[in-house]
Amino acid sequence: MSVIDDLASEFARLPGIGRKTAYRLTHHLLKSPPEEAGRLAGAIVTMAERVKRCAICGSLGETDPCEFCLSGVRDRTTICVVEEASDIAAIEGSGSFRGLYHVLGGCLSPLDGIGPEELKIDALLARLDDGVGEVILATNPSVEGEATATYLHKVLASRGMSVTRLARGLPVGGDLEYADGVTIAQALAGRRDM
Amino acid sequence: MFLARISLRNFRNFENEVIELPQEGAALIGANGQGKTNLLEAIYYLEIFRSFRGARDDQLVNFGAEYFRVEAHVACVDDGEGGEAVEVAAGYVRDGRRKKVTINGGEAARMAEGIGRIGAIIFTASDVEMVAGGPGARRRFLDIALSLVEPSYLADLQRYRQILTQRNELLRERGDASSLAAWNDGLVAVGSRIMQARARWISDARPRFSRHCEAISGGEEAAMEYAPSVSMINGEQADGSKLTREEWESAFREQLDRLRERERRRGVTVVGPHRDDLRLGLLGRRDQLSLRAFGSAGQQRTAAIALRMVEAETWRESRGRRPIVMLDDVFAELDPQRATRMFEMLSSQEWGQVIVTSPKPDDYALMGGRLSEYRIERGRVNRI
Repeated sequence: MSVIDDLASEFARLPGIGRKTAYRLTHHLLKSPPEEAGRLAGAIVTMAERVKRCAICGSLGETDPCEFCLSGVRDRTTICVVEEASDIAAIEGSGSFRGLYHVLGGCLSPLDGIGPEELKIDALLARLDDGVGEVILATNPSVEGEATATYLHKVLASRGMSVTRLARGLPVGGDLEYADGVTIAQALAGRRDM
Repeated sequence: MFLARISLRNFRNFENEVIELPQEGAALIGANGQGKTNLLEAIYYLEIFRSFRGARDDQLVNFGAEYFRVEAHVACVDDGEGGEAVEVAAGYVRDGRRKKVTINGGEAARMAEGIGRIGAIIFTASDVEMVAGGPGARRRFLDIALSLVEPSYLADLQRYRQILTQRNELLRERGDASSLAAWNDGLVAVGSRIMQARARWISDARPRFSRHCEAISGGEEAAMEYAPSVSMINGEQADGSKLTREEWESAFREQLDRLRERERRRGVTVVGPHRDDLRLGLLGRRDQLSLRAFGSAGQQRTAAIALRMVEAETWRESRGRRPIVMLDDVFAELDPQRATRMFEMLSSQEWGQVIVTSPKPDDYALMGGRLSEYRIERGRVNRI
């Protein structure tokens, strides 16, 4: 195998990248000035060296504990539970949550051999003592995410914790006309008084 | 609304055919193995995006070809029914097993969005399996009929199957009670929606089914009832159609609890809509006899046709227009009296476009001259 094939097969191991795309990326780098390849390689190495998983919440950042857990201005009474560290970026992007996070590292899925022991649930329970008043379950609305939320709800409610779940329904800014039937049915089921 | 044009490319034994159909319908005449059923399969593919014969998509591609594509143009007629003309197309490529569904040229975001746009009901000789076979065939019938009229039914069904697979895996590996409980909520919530929809549909369909059976057979009475795996608590509301969502949920939950030991031993979920049945019976002098066990071949065929007619009727009522009716060599299976009665029923105003297949151009197939005759030979179609 040539060095070109080597790089392409590394790219192909990444999610969402097939063989053809891997070669397209490789040839793009070959055509670009050498500094560009150097910058990319450097960024990858630096990321791998510097990014740590926070021992408290499981999020990814350059410090451990992470910036959220260390922050003096965030609301320490609310914890938002997510499946993956990448979900945090989406919630942070909304700018409307100022509490702390907790990353489970996946969701319950017997078919993939993932039970409660495989998730960071003990670590979450260990955090509940320090004045936490509400846990928001922000697992995905998939079958597995819902089962995970149900499981957590039972565990947390038995400890007297107030537990909430993200609502679902129509996307903001979307036209009703373009929403699919399933989404509209969900939104109807979850309608509220005005 | 009627199917005005169907184009096939590399679908089964059709290489490249464009067929225009008149508003009244067509009789597709040809010897066995020439492609009559394949053509109906192609039309119905655009209704549910899979083969009604249970074939895999790659088996539908013409031998030696890389892809197939089917397109239909459903046209509007001025019959007071309203509705909008629609173009539905589906393509499948062997390489990468890609399937693409387009509605009026735009790609459908979900398969469910495209389902039921043609508005077709198909009667086939193998429908008798719904009556004579196991409960799986009857559940499939219920599921297709309900998916076509209730928008959220299909999504619920898919979700239920996913939960069931996960839960069964957990039971198989002997997961603990609290993990199992995490899956029960979803199972009960989604399962109850399915049971409630089925109970209502069946309650509504029961008198229609009896009426059609009686009309085709010339006086024999038949009945249908829901036989849910979750037994209903309230004896007096026997058909379950009046039960609320909450009542279904509590019955389901209670039985999951009660059968906990058995499902642990067996390693599968033993109760729920995946074990439902639709009971079909002949009304005897004293009691009801199971059509599956005691019905004659003719009675079973009659009941199968009646089920399809019920499906067509509920479809018509939910959409406010008549579906396209396809009959795959159905008359040949019936005795002359039953064939004549069915033929008379289909000729009435209640039914719209009819597409019939038959090996010979007899009076039944052509519906007394109402239908135009098409000849099918080795994947080529010609209007006579």
